[in-house]
Amino acid sequence: MSAPILRVEALSKRFRGLLAISDVSFAVEPGSITSVIGPNGAGKSTLFNLVTGYLAPTAGTVSFKERTITGLATNRIAELGVSRAFQIARPFRDLSVAENVRIGALFGKAGARDVAATTREALALAGMTHLADEPASVLTVGQLRHLEVARAIATRADLLLADEPCAGLNPTETAAMIDVLRRIRASGVTVVLVEHDMPSVMEVSDRVLVLDAGRLIADGAPAEVSKNPQVIAAYLGTPD
Amino acid sequence: MSQRPALFVAIILAAAVVLAALPLVLPPFYVRVGQLMIYSAGLAVAWTILGGFAGYASFGNAAFIGVGAFTAGLVEERFASLPTPLLLPLGLVVGGFACAVLSAAVAYPILRLRGTFFAIAMLGVCHVCAELNNNLDVLQGSLGLNFPSITPAGWDPATFFYELYLVAGVIVFLIAWQIQRSRFGAGLLSIREDEDTARMLGVPTERYKRIAFVVSAVLTGLLGVIYAHSLGYITTDSVYRDDTNLNLIVYSLLGGLGTLFGPVIGAFMLVFITQVVLARLLDFHLFATGLLLVVLVLAAPGGVLGFVKSWRLKRRYAARVPAE
Repeated sequence: MSAPILRVEALSKRFRGLLAISDVSFAVEPGSITSVIGPNGAGKSTLFNLVTGYLAPTAGTVSFKERTITGLATNRIAELGVSRAFQIARPFRDLSVAENVRIGALFGKAGARDVAATTREALALAGMTHLADEPASVLTVGQLRHLEVARAIATRADLLLADEPCAGLNPTETAAMIDVLRRIRASGVTVVLVEHDMPSVMEVSDRVLVLDAGRLIADGAPAEVSKNPQVIAAYLGTPD
Repeated sequence: MSQRPALFVAIILAAAVVLAALPLVLPPFYVRVGQLMIYSAGLAVAWTILGGFAGYASFGNAAFIGVGAFTAGLVEERFASLPTPLLLPLGLVVGGFACAVLSAAVAYPILRLRGTFFAIAMLGVCHVCAELNNNLDVLQGSLGLNFPSITPAGWDPATFFYELYLVAGVIVFLIAWQIQRSRFGAGLLSIREDEDTARMLGVPTERYKRIAFVVSAVLTGLLGVIYAHSLGYITTDSVYRDDTNLNLIVYSLLGGLGTLFGPVIGAFMLVFITQVVLARLLDFHLFATGLLLVVLVLAAPGGVLGFVKSWRLKRRYAARVPAE
């Protein structure tokens, strides 16, 4: 086993009275797709916000490539090679698709780059080349998700955090997105997903983490996790 | 345009040469109008480096006109024995430096505010500077400050300052253009579009905003130093002007917010309209300007350039529909 690319240790986040993330620990292997699932309010998005530095944890540490990144500014974490695609797409609306992706290529991970080539490759990987010159403001929800992913990949990140990339997509769009995620993994990028769509999670993930009320209640291969009684209880409730 | 920088610079310089020759043929009144147009356009472009490119609309840039002008004047007064040609360069250096120090000092707290809050905080900065300038006797704000005449022998002062504003304006414009097409400019653009997303993509948003703020402040201050010399005598009221604060926003709104040419078009238009078209209607002039602004903002919220762009987009999509 190689060294984990992302390690989360005893991470907690408290919002006043609410413990949104409670003593969560896990490690992510490089080159894998890991999904974080759990009911609404389980703390999945908070977990992403903690990893990307958008929020500071109450306790615990996050390390990326064996380096502690807790407390670093979001843009510093991005320079190290972590990127994120938002659930609710946040395109730069006044810019074209290619210009959006170019911003990712211009910034993102530190180091030399060919901006034009990186932009082109990211557009191709996300299947957006034909939309390159369209203004971002005219895209459909499905296309915007692809744009989020393309822009995140253009940062040359080694770790992509994708927040519900398939939410609200129809079956065809979902299949296309899963295809894109697989290609991203094949290009050597580690992917961590937050996802609700169970069939896609089971299909694409190497590993599944289950959060419930801020605690990690299961961690394992998709088939294992889906049979875990605690997980079933968290999703369906327990009979009284 | 962005692909052929040499051509772009050549066109701008050619336009500058044409403008530089205009005082030879224009009546004196129009030379003074031209002065005001170019000065306003220069201020508007300096404003747009932060306000247009990064979306941090300052409502207090006159602070830098005032601080630049007074610093230059006070220092030039101490060094009055220097040869005349050295006075303006000295004033520019110290005035620009004072604006750099002031903007760097207020940048950290003030750039944490977004949108309207930033705009109003800048108005506060402007008023605080004006009050200090007015009430600290050593700064001579209420008494007034004389500037030495720097017009070379044989020159008409109006023409001299016209040419001086033109040189300064072209420099400010080319600096803004270089910023816009650079990686730094792309970062500012992403801040304007969505600051949190920009940071997530690795844009050092805090540093970029601070740099843009200081550059904008220094260029504004340099123009203020020239302005003070053209007036010859300034008080607090003649440089810390709220109508300047307001106009700087209006120029960009008229011409196209966030663009490079928008502030220039807006400044030329508004100065021409108020100074020439409405000049004879003194009582009516503010009312007419206000009415014009309301109509323009309602009819073309993106300004002149925004109007052209949306018209082009419409044509593009209209041309596409029958093909499908």
